[in-house]
Amino acid sequence: MVFSFIFLPLVIAACLPLIGKISKKVIPDVLTNATLGFLLINSILLIKPIFSRGSLLQNINWFGENVNLQIALDGFNLFMLFTISLVSLCITLFSIDYLKHYGHQANFYALLLVMVAGMNGLVLVPDLFSVYLFLEVAAVASYALVAFGLGPEELEASFKYLMLSVVASAFVLLSITVIFGLTGSLSFQAVARGLQDLNAGPVLGVCLAFFIMGFGLKAALVPFHAWLPDAHPSAPAPISAMLSGLLIKVSGVYALFRIVYSVVGMTPALSRVLMAMGAISIVVAALLALGHNDIKRMLAYSSISQVGYIILGLAIGTPLGIAGGLFHLFNHAVAKGLLFLNSGSIQHITGTRNLNELGGLGKKVPITAGTNLVGALSIAGVPPLAGFWSKLIIIIALVQANHFGYALVAILASILTLWYYLLIQRKAFFGPLNDRWQQIKEAPFWMNAANIILALLCLLVGIFFSPIFKTWIAPAADALARGVQQVLMWGI
Amino acid sequence: MMATTLLWPIIFPAVIALILFLIPRRIKLIREVLALLSSMVILYLGFSLFSLKNLALNADWLGMGINFDFRLYQFSAFILLALSGFLFLITLYSSIKMKDHPRIREYYAYVFLAAAFSNGAVLANNFVLLIFFWEALLITTYALITLGLKPTSHRTAVKSLIIGGLCDFSMIMGIGLVWASTGTLTMDAVHLEPQGLAAAAFILMMIGAIGKAGAMPFHTWIPDAALDAPVTFMAFMPASFEKLLGIYLLARISLDFFELKVGSAMAMVLLIIGAATIVLAVFMALIQKDFKKLLSFHAISQVGYMILGIGTAIPIGIAGGIFHMINHAMYKTGLFLSAGSVEHRTGTTELKKLGGLAKEMPWTAFGFSVCALAISGVWPLNGFVSKEMVFHGALETGYPIFAIAAWVGAIFTFASFLKAGHSVFFGPRSTEVPKTRESQWPIVLPILILAILCITFGVYNKLPLENFIQPILAGRVEPGEHLDFTSGALNLFTPVAGVSMLCLLIALGLHFYGWKRSGKKAYLASEPIHHLPVLKQLYDLSEARFFDIYEQGVKFLAWLSRVLFKFIDRPIDFIYEKVVVSVGRFFTVLFQKAHNGQYANYLAWTIGGLMVVLWAMLKLLQ
Repeated sequence: MVFSFIFLPLVIAACLPLIGKISKKVIPDVLTNATLGFLLINSILLIKPIFSRGSLLQNINWFGENVNLQIALDGFNLFMLFTISLVSLCITLFSIDYLKHYGHQANFYALLLVMVAGMNGLVLVPDLFSVYLFLEVAAVASYALVAFGLGPEELEASFKYLMLSVVASAFVLLSITVIFGLTGSLSFQAVARGLQDLNAGPVLGVCLAFFIMGFGLKAALVPFHAWLPDAHPSAPAPISAMLSGLLIKVSGVYALFRIVYSVVGMTPALSRVLMAMGAISIVVAALLALGHNDIKRMLAYSSISQVGYIILGLAIGTPLGIAGGLFHLFNHAVAKGLLFLNSGSIQHITGTRNLNELGGLGKKVPITAGTNLVGALSIAGVPPLAGFWSKLIIIIALVQANHFGYALVAILASILTLWYYLLIQRKAFFGPLNDRWQQIKEAPFWMNAANIILALLCLLVGIFFSPIFKTWIAPAADALARGVQQVLMWGI
Repeated sequence: MMATTLLWPIIFPAVIALILFLIPRRIKLIREVLALLSSMVILYLGFSLFSLKNLALNADWLGMGINFDFRLYQFSAFILLALSGFLFLITLYSSIKMKDHPRIREYYAYVFLAAAFSNGAVLANNFVLLIFFWEALLITTYALITLGLKPTSHRTAVKSLIIGGLCDFSMIMGIGLVWASTGTLTMDAVHLEPQGLAAAAFILMMIGAIGKAGAMPFHTWIPDAALDAPVTFMAFMPASFEKLLGIYLLARISLDFFELKVGSAMAMVLLIIGAATIVLAVFMALIQKDFKKLLSFHAISQVGYMILGIGTAIPIGIAGGIFHMINHAMYKTGLFLSAGSVEHRTGTTELKKLGGLAKEMPWTAFGFSVCALAISGVWPLNGFVSKEMVFHGALETGYPIFAIAAWVGAIFTFASFLKAGHSVFFGPRSTEVPKTRESQWPIVLPILILAILCITFGVYNKLPLENFIQPILAGRVEPGEHLDFTSGALNLFTPVAGVSMLCLLIALGLHFYGWKRSGKKAYLASEPIHHLPVLKQLYDLSEARFFDIYEQGVKFLAWLSRVLFKFIDRPIDFIYEKVVVSVGRFFTVLFQKAHNGQYANYLAWTIGGLMVVLWAMLKLLQ
C-alpha cells in the first residue's frame, strides 16, 4: 500500500504519453485525477495505523527477492504525504480547464506525476542516497515543467533554475559522500547510530553547511533564492502552484529538517544559523515582493518569505515551534497553491498578470476575487483563517523560547505581508472597473472548483484549528521532536 | 388566580404588537378596532390585577441570582392600572389622529411594545429583569420619535437614545454597586442605608430614574421631540408613561431600596434637583411660542414637584409627589391631546397663528381649560391638592427656600397657561387659519375623560388618596402617626393655601400686564419677562442650546476628536505613511537592483552564502 505512493504515479506517468496518442484530453484528465484521488484516500487511510503504531518500515520485494529499497513512515512524513496528495489533487483539477491554453495534456500530466512520485519518494525513503535520487527525480521533472511553455523567458528561467539546482545537488551529494566516509553507511538509522558514537565536530559542521546550502537553495532561502522569482512565475499556473506549494517544501524544508532532526540531531548552533536564515528570508523577500507589479512574481517572493517563517518555526527546536512550523507549512501549501491557481484564473480571464492593467475585477468575477481574498488574508495571518493560527503559534513558540527579537521580526514582517497582499487586492479586484474588462466572464468550472476547495480549506482549518492541530499536527511534530530516537525506533 | 397571570400584561401587548405590525397598511379599520379592543383587554387586566394586589412569580433564569422574578403589590398594581388606562386613551385618540400615517404599522407595533416593556418594568422584581425592560423602552422611544417624519426627527431620536442610554448606564452601575454590597439582585430584598458606597449607588440609580422621568438636566430631548415627534407620542411617553415609570422607580429607590432620611444629604440632592427643575423649566416654558413646545417644558417642570415631594422624605411630601405624578400624567396627557386636537383641525400649533378657537372647538377648549387650571393648581382641582401636599412637605423639611421655589414655579406655570389658553382658544378669532369645527369624538372623548378625572381627583381626593396613595406609604410611617392626607386637603384658609392663591393672583396680574404692554397680543404676554435685563441674556444662551448638556457634549466630543486627530493621529499616520513607506521603498529598490538577472551574480551569492554558513557553523561548533 505504501509503495503505491511512489510507483503508482510513476507507472501512470509512463503510460500517459502513449495514452495521449489515443485520447488528447479526457482520459489523461480522468486518469491523473483518479491517481491523485487514490493517493489522497490512501494517505487518509494510513493515518490511524501509523498514529497507533508509531512508525512503519518496509522493504520492497521483487519476485521474492529483497530489493535494496526501503521505505519508512512515521507521523511527520505521513503528514507530508497527505499535504502533497491534497494540494496536487486540487492542482490537477484546476488543470482540467486551464491546460487548454497549452495542449499536450498527456505529457504535462506525465511530468507532473513524475514530480509527485519524486516528492513522495523523497518523503518516504530512509536513506541518504535515495533522498538524493528522488530529489533529482522531482527536480528534473520540474525543470521540464518550468519550460513547458517553451517561450524564451521560460527557457531562460528554466536554465537558470537548472544551473543553480545542479550546484545545490552537487553539494548535497558531496556532503552525503563525506558522511558515508565517516560512518560507512547511508541509511538514516545506521548513520544516526554511527554519528552518536563518533565525535566528528568540524567535519560534520562542514557537511551540515553543505546540506544547508543545498537544501536551502531548494527551499529558496535568502541568499540562495535567486532562481525562484524567475522560475516560479514562468511556469504554467498549476506548476507554479506545485513548485511554490509543495516542491520547495518537500525537497528543501522536509529533506533538511529530516536530516537535521532525525539523523544528525538538532544542536543549538544549527538552530541559531537556521533561525537567522529564516528571519533574513522573511524580511528581505517581503520587501522584494512589495516592489513588483506582476502578481506571480509577488507570489513567488511571498513564498520565499513564508518559507522563512516555516524554517524559523522548525528551527526553534521546541515541540511547539516544530508544530507551528509544520502547521504553517500545511497552511502555506494550501493558501499559496490557491493563490497561484488564482493567478492562473486571472490570466485566463484577462490575459495579463500585470497589476497596473487590472482593476475592479471584483464585481465581474466574484468567485475568483473572493477566493483570492481568502488565500491572501490566510497567508497574511488575519483571523480566523488558518494562516493566522500557525503564525500565532510560531510567534508564541518564539516568545516561549526567549527569542524576542525574532518574534518582533515575525510580527512586523506579517504587516509587510498584509501590505503587499492588500496591494494585490486593491489593484486587481477593488476600485473602478477598467473599461478593457467590461466583457470578461468568470473562470470555467474546474478552475473555480479548485479555487473554492482550497479557499474552504483555509477557512475551515482556521475555524476548526484546535481539533485539527491536536489530532493531526501535534503527532507529526512529535515524531520530529523525538529527534534521532524516532529514526532509531523505525521498524521496531 | 395563577401566578402566571402576571405574564399576561407583558406577553399580550407584545403579541398584539406583532399582529398589528403584520396587518398590511391598506387594511384600515381592522387595525384600529383590534388595537382598541386589545387596549381594553389590557385595561381590564389592569383592573383585575389591581383588585388582586398581591401576586408573585419566581422562576430560575440565568442563575447567579438573576431570576425570572415578578411581583405585584400595592404600588406596582396602581402603576400598572394607570399605564393601561393611558394606553387605552392614547389608542382611542390615535384611531383618528394617526390613521393616515404612512408608517402606521410600525406606530401601533411600537406603542404596544412600549406598553409591554413598561408593564414588565413595573412588575419586575429582579434588577436585571428591570434593566432589560427599562433599556428596551429606549428603542421604542427612539422608533416612535422617528415616526414624526420631520427632517430632524432622526437627530432628536438619537439624542433621546443617547441621553436615555447614559442615564440607564448610570442606573446599571448603581445596581452593580447594590449587588456588590448586598449580594442580591432581588428588588424587594434590598434595603440599604445610603452611606458611603451605598450613597453612590443611590445617586447613580436616582439618575436612571429621574432621567426617565425627564428631570433637568436630562430633559433636553423632550422639547425637541415636541416638534419632531408625533403629538400622540408626546402624550404617550413624556407626558404619561415615562413620568409614571420614572417616578415609580424614584419612589422605590427612596422608600424601598434605600432609607431616605429627612434632611440627609441624599434628600437634599433630590430637593435641589426638584427645585431647580421646577424653576428653570417653567422659565423656559413661559417664553415658548409653540403650543406643543410650551407643554413639553411644563412636562419637565412638573417632574420637579414630584422629585421635590419625594425628596422631602416626609410622608405628606412623598404622598404629594406620588399623587402629583398621577395627576400630572392625567392633565398633561389631556393638554397634549388637546394640542393635538387643535393641530388636527388647524394644521399648526404656533400660538401666533391661532386664536379664538373656543367657539368652533368647544369641547377641546373645555378639556384644555380644566387641565390647564389643574396644572396651575387652581382650587378645587387635583393639581391644587397634590401641590398643597408638596408645599406642606417642603415647608416641614425646615428649608423654606424649596417651598418658595415651588411657589415661584406655580406663578409662572399659571402665567404661561394663561398665555397659551388666551392665545389659542380665547381672544379675537385669528385670521390665519380657516374656519374649522370640533374634532371627531375619538379625539375629544379622551380629553374629556381626562378633564373629568382631573375634577374628580380634586373634589373627591379621598378616592385616589385612600385607594392608591396611602396604602403605598402604609408601614413606612412611625407607628401611631396619622396617615390621612384627605382631611383639609381642599381647605383654602390655611397660610400655605393662601400663599398659593396669592401666587395665582400674581400670575394673573403678570399676564394682563404683559398682554396690555404687547398691544393686546396674547402670545406676546410673556415678553416683558423675556426681556428683563439678566433673563434676556440667559434666554438667548438657552435658545442657542448653551445649557443643553447633550449639545455641549457633542461639541466637546467633536473638539476632542479634532484634537486627537491633529496631534495624535496625524503624527502616527505620518510615521506609517511617510517614514515606514519610504524606508520600505528604499530597501525594496536596493534589493531589486541586486536582482539583475545575471546567472553569475546569483551563483556568487550562493557560494558567498555557503561561505558564511560554513564559517558560522565552524565558529559555533568550537
